[in-house]
Amino acid sequence: MMMSLASYLVISAFLFLIGIAVILSRKSLIAILLGIELILNAAALNFVTYSRFGSQDLDGHIMTLFIIVVAAAEAAVGLAIVIRHFQLKETIHIDEVSQLKE
Amino acid sequence: MDYTVSTIAPIFLFPFFAFVINAFLGRKLPKDGNWVSLIGILLSFVFSLRVFFDFMGKYDTNFYVHKVFNWFDLSVGDSVFKIDLGIYLDNMAVVMLLMVTGVASLIHIFSIWYMSGDRRHGRFFVFLSLFTSAMIGLVLANNLLLLFIFWEIMGFCSYSLIGIYYEKDKAGDASLKAFMTTRVGDVLFLLGILAIWAVIGSVDYVDIYKAIAEGTFESVTVMGIGMTTFAAFTIFCGNIGKSAQFPLQVWLPDAMMGPTPGSALIHAATMVAAGCYLSLRMYPLMEAGGLTPFIAFIGAITAFGAATIALVQKDLKAVLAYSTISQLGYMVLGIGVGSYNAAFMHVITHAIFKACLFMSAGSIIHSVHEQMMPKLGGLSKKLPITFLCMVACTLAISGVPFFTGFVSKDRILGDAIYWGMMAGQNKAFAIVPILGFLGAILTPFYMTRMMCLIFLGKPRDQHVYDHCHQEHFSLTQHLPLVILSIFTLGVFFSGALIGEWVPVFGAKQEWFKVLIEAPNVNNFVDTIKSSFGFSDSVTSSMSVTKATYTHQLGYFGPNPDEHGVHQAHFIGAILSIFLAIGSIIASYLVYVRGITDPNKWANTFAPVYRTLVNKYYFDDFYLGVVIQKGLLGFNKFLSWFDMGVYDRIFIDGWAKVNFFFVRLAGWFDDKVIDSLVDLNGIIVKIFNVIFRKLQTGRIQWYLVVMFFSLVFINYYFLL
Amino acid sequence: MFHKLLFIMSTVLTVASALVVLLNKNIMHACIALLGSLIGIAGLYLTLGADFVAATQLMVYVGGVVILMLFAVMLTGGQDFVSKTQKLFDLTPNMGNATSYSVGIVSAALFGMIIYGLTESSLSSIPKKDIDPNLIEASTLERLGELLLTDHVLAFEISSVLLLGALVGAAIIARPDRSTSSSANTSEEQ
Repeated sequence: MMMSLASYLVISAFLFLIGIAVILSRKSLIAILLGIELILNAAALNFVTYSRFGSQDLDGHIMTLFIIVVAAAEAAVGLAIVIRHFQLKETIHIDEVSQLKE
Repeated sequence: MDYTVSTIAPIFLFPFFAFVINAFLGRKLPKDGNWVSLIGILLSFVFSLRVFFDFMGKYDTNFYVHKVFNWFDLSVGDSVFKIDLGIYLDNMAVVMLLMVTGVASLIHIFSIWYMSGDRRHGRFFVFLSLFTSAMIGLVLANNLLLLFIFWEIMGFCSYSLIGIYYEKDKAGDASLKAFMTTRVGDVLFLLGILAIWAVIGSVDYVDIYKAIAEGTFESVTVMGIGMTTFAAFTIFCGNIGKSAQFPLQVWLPDAMMGPTPGSALIHAATMVAAGCYLSLRMYPLMEAGGLTPFIAFIGAITAFGAATIALVQKDLKAVLAYSTISQLGYMVLGIGVGSYNAAFMHVITHAIFKACLFMSAGSIIHSVHEQMMPKLGGLSKKLPITFLCMVACTLAISGVPFFTGFVSKDRILGDAIYWGMMAGQNKAFAIVPILGFLGAILTPFYMTRMMCLIFLGKPRDQHVYDHCHQEHFSLTQHLPLVILSIFTLGVFFSGALIGEWVPVFGAKQEWFKVLIEAPNVNNFVDTIKSSFGFSDSVTSSMSVTKATYTHQLGYFGPNPDEHGVHQAHFIGAILSIFLAIGSIIASYLVYVRGITDPNKWANTFAPVYRTLVNKYYFDDFYLGVVIQKGLLGFNKFLSWFDMGVYDRIFIDGWAKVNFFFVRLAGWFDDKVIDSLVDLNGIIVKIFNVIFRKLQTGRIQWYLVVMFFSLVFINYYFLL
Repeated sequence: MFHKLLFIMSTVLTVASALVVLLNKNIMHACIALLGSLIGIAGLYLTLGADFVAATQLMVYVGGVVILMLFAVMLTGGQDFVSKTQKLFDLTPNMGNATSYSVGIVSAALFGMIIYGLTESSLSSIPKKDIDPNLIEASTLERLGELLLTDHVLAFEISSVLLLGALVGAAIIARPDRSTSSSANTSEEQ
């Protein structure tokens, strides 16, 4: 009962929500990237879970692998942007990244 | 011989290609490309020679070749709007073609000598080629529109050749004067073309002849004048402008500012002859329009008036210029009195001897660098070849027997006698032959005067005389003169004396008389136009018959009395022989032997002399009255009308009306539209206060909104 | 029994670390906490019998991404931000007032919805069964390799191109301006 589909999905949902909360509340660009990683991991966990409890084949695993790959690429590019912004503006505060508004 | 693209087109295209090559590459070619122009015109001459001998072989007065191809066709439904281009060659066109290409070739050769080292050498040959090709195109053209195009190209070229030394004020003014004066005639000519187009929808020669024969023009009137008269008059106005007839003769003497070979081409062989060529082409129209007496009077006035002015000129080119106008007057007179054949023969013979005279003048001017006759004299020892050639031409222009002038001019005068005195027409018409004969007295006199002042007697200015080098025969300088002076002999044209000896013109005596005849319009009804292609499928089915010469006279009356005409010719010939020889002797006595002093005569008849020197005050009249008083006065009136009437009443009044509406609209704008706009602004402002808060530029706020939306959407779908 | 133990430990580690990421003010600590959360997820993968995925998770995330994050934190000075303005009715989400409420409301609503969705639809359609220990024992490595190079080879290749592009792009973006940097270098050398 404890290691059932529902328990994994609840864990996944919880991670997802914490990721959203991080994105919405933290003020550092890096912290927001952390939140995105959490959300991606929640999704990946869902894929593996359904692969295990559902179809029994390994397509979910492969999907998770690709998610990891894409997340790595996203983290690299995102952090590069953050560092570049810090070099140019001396800040990574999310509320000050609003050049388009002006 | 087939008349196709490959046999006809080269006549026009070789000089034209020479023009194109010289215009774009002339500066890069050796000798500025003058050899390109020469080769072009020589090839053109060879091709026209072929056509000429083919026509001579046919020996049929009525033979002609008419080929067309479609230029553009904008016909919609029943309304036909179609213009064909093509060639129309009859005996007259072929003879004219040979004359143009031949004389132009010799002028090209002479120009190579005359213009060598000149600073406008390349430019001169560019325009020479274009000019020649335009003249050839004009002769080949099968309709008035195409003729008009080439006519205008020639006008432009003569403008450029006269003003070739454009940095001289006089040259620039002269070119402008020539251009503007001929423009007066050209505008009317264009009007005539349009009138014909409006009536028969075509300007082909054959269609016009056909329309005359079928009477299409009858009962059509333009501004109350009969269509034929109107069209004939306007087209003849083109002739007046181009051939420097009274009253538009003023441009030709000033046009002597150009280089002398250019004058030879413009004023002898081509452009001025083009005017007469046009009138000869449209002769049936002139006749049908009853315009011939008018033409005869214009010609007689010009022939006599120009001859009198030539008597007192000091510049040798000016003498030639006025003699040109005078001879052109004879041609027009010939057209007027119906002496079609003789008038056209005079076009040809005049082209030859006048080209020779101009080139001789060029030779003299180039040798002594002086063209005022009082400073010349005794040059016959230094310039013997030029002297001999010029003597031949002088005899020709004077109408001495055995020379061409006698053959052509005296036939014109003979016809004039019959037309004016013996045909029983209006007595006032007798003025025409009288003026013609007075001109015929004056012509040998002033030509001999010119010859005597230049070549005979003692040198008047020793410095100028010493400056002149003894001349030796040179190919480019003298060959054209010699060839042209050979052709001043009458035998080549009359064939009467030694016709049977010359094999080409053969046993056919008086070839010129027989071949050239006014087009008989009745022959042109029911003709089929053959198209101009690369192969000549349609062969002329016209039978080759030995033609005979019949007289035509320029009035609608009973058939000319053959006996009377012969009588008139006999009287005219005897009279002009005596007048010419007597006049030459008198002139020789006056200017060489000095039996009387011309200056004394000038003092005695001082008012007449002054009038002649001032060219009958025509220039002053045009400048002082027509331009200053007439055109400028009209200008002032127009300007007053514009400023005083039009501006004050219409423009200002309209402005007032507008001003009222503007104020009305302004009030409406201020009160109504603006308050609407303001209301709009207020509404926007209210929303702005609300929505501005939402647009924070902070991404997390947007995310919150996004997730809220997500929640609501989920809520809607799940519950 | 071991699986259950592993599951409980991994769940606790994951959830607790994620909460630390959310609540800790210090960005450095948050990164370390993310590390723990990712390790916990790797453990969860193990309990699901996904040994290769768990290993990849450890290598890529724990060994790569999080280290990258730490570098970024250190390069940007490790600063974190407390809310600057403290107006009560400022609609802008700053920590501590309206923002907290809105975040809480959004999170709670979404969570409620997910739980509701689970109970209503997903669970009823998927049969519940216990985890087969044999499956956990068997390695997925061989089958995964076969699948990656047969059925999913296109996605595999595309992902390699994506990685290459992302790395080149990241390098170009993060590189300082050549002109300024070169002039700075030369001036330093002199």
